[in-house]
Amino acid sequence: MIIADATSTTVIGKGIMIGLGFIGPAIGIGLIGGNYLSAVGRNPEASKFFGQALVFTAIVELFGLLAFASTFIVK
Amino acid sequence: MTSLFADSGPAVHVAPAPIMHLGGLTITNSILWGWISTVIICLVMILVARRVTVKPKGGLVQFIEAGVDFITNLVESGFDDKSRGRRYVPYFVTLFFFLMLSNWLGLLPGIGEAFHRGDNPLLRPFTADLNGTFAAGLVTMLVVYAASIRESGGPIKYIRHFFIGSPLNPLYLIIGILEMFTDLTRVFSLSLRLFLNVAIGEIVIAVFSYLGHVVAPVTALPFTLLELFVGALQAYIFTVLSLNYLAIVANHGHGSEGQESLTEEPLPETIGLQSGRA
Repeated sequence: MIIADATSTTVIGKGIMIGLGFIGPAIGIGLIGGNYLSAVGRNPEASKFFGQALVFTAIVELFGLLAFASTFIVK
Repeated sequence: MTSLFADSGPAVHVAPAPIMHLGGLTITNSILWGWISTVIICLVMILVARRVTVKPKGGLVQFIEAGVDFITNLVESGFDDKSRGRRYVPYFVTLFFFLMLSNWLGLLPGIGEAFHRGDNPLLRPFTADLNGTFAAGLVTMLVVYAASIRESGGPIKYIRHFFIGSPLNPLYLIIGILEMFTDLTRVFSLSLRLFLNVAIGEIVIAVFSYLGHVVAPVTALPFTLLELFVGALQAYIFTVLSLNYLAIVANHGHGSEGQESLTEEPLPETIGLQSGRA
């Protein structure tokens, strides 16, 4: 109750939204990068797939951006 | 009206604002800058095309040439049959350069908060407007659908491509219909990705130049450079993804006949399995 008095709950909602929304893409991009590096470590010829790794990164990144954009809708 | 410092918080706009009315049409700030940047891009490209020589002289001409070459190789290698891919090279090269240069022109100083008309900024990056990127996504997907129908040889064959087995099998029927709806969401995913990357990049630059206050150029510079990279990357990704949507359909009939699979029994071809190919 004290917190709810001090600040608007919208701010808390936005904070949770951004925080949770960024966790997923962060893990996803980490997995893509880590797996890319381990693939290159095993087989250095796989480094030519860097462009594809970037494409998948962009696909994952979209969801984080969606979470960020949704915070502007919360009033 | 020029303002050097933001007074109260960073100025954040996610939607374009109307600045004038022309007949029954509302002209927004992003479409105004979209027209101006279209003219700039056309002029630059015409100028470059006239100055292309066999022996490269360097400078802008060589940069554009390298980009054209890069996308041409990308499109041709995406198809099993290179001569098929060559037909679609002009569209994808145009798409790539239009999006990349639109992203970069939106980062120029003066676009955004510098000039105002009434309460709204006069100019806004074209790709930081969902209408602009949605138009780009819609046109691209219409081209992709038309080309897919042509490549697969008729609308019936194109629709048949969604079903991995006989459509009479209820499971394959449901999967195929779901696959069709997935196809329709591509317009939104393409346009939303480009829009959100550019619009949120603008917001990030605004926030960091606000935080910097007096030394705003120093704090905003790294993010502006990041946005240069992101602008080129997003144009590349837009091109590659729309190319893949086309190449999956175009390569569908050829892959299974030409190359014999390693396993004894041919695996059932799924549409998702092939999407990893560039």
